[in-house]
Amino acid sequence: MIKVEIINKPITPFISDDSRKQIGAELVFNGRVRNTEHGKKIIALEYEQYEGMAEVELKNIAVKTCDKFPIRDLLCRHRIGIINVGEISLHVLICAKHRKEALEAMNWFISELKKLVPIWKWAIMTDNTRIPSECEH
Amino acid sequence: MIKVTIKCFSQVKYALNQNELVLELKKGFRSSDLEKTIRIKAKGQLDNISLRIAINQQYITKNTELKDGDEVAFIPPVQGG
Repeated sequence: MIKVEIINKPITPFISDDSRKQIGAELVFNGRVRNTEHGKKIIALEYEQYEGMAEVELKNIAVKTCDKFPIRDLLCRHRIGIINVGEISLHVLICAKHRKEALEAMNWFISELKKLVPIWKWAIMTDNTRIPSECEH
Repeated sequence: MIKVTIKCFSQVKYALNQNELVLELKKGFRSSDLEKTIRIKAKGQLDNISLRIAINQQYITKNTELKDGDEVAFIPPVQGG
């Protein structure tokens, strides 16, 4: 199963499902907002997306990941809008028969997401000024 | 003449101080010509920034002739995650 969503509200994690009998590895990744940008304190990041294209690109990458690695499920929620320091911006769940393919698929999926999905961050500084983030990690 | 809409994000939005531009261009205008136009409008603020181009919400890899009604985005390095 593939499911991708871009949402403008706090992320609810996907449910860990005990009924999956063929799954040996269930891998969860949560990306969170750090409290600094290039050494300067921030209070939040504001994520903006190219509406429409971002979700299509995210889905394309999810499909390619499932073609490239022997995994069963890839579920992804990416949050946009203002996200306070400490909150989750990206939540991914991958299920596979074994951990090796789940770990490799997770790494590849997130790397591709960071190359191709048109989403950007604006840093909200402690004085409430808003500047484009320089972070490309 | 043709009319195209340019969607602005991140550093492009910051440099141009606009979310969207609508420009009338000569027929035969290409994506590379429009990129030069946008970089000139940004007055140097995009000089060290690589821009990928999307037309009608799809990345393009070749210099493409623009058509009337196209939606173009100059996409600075993305930062999802």
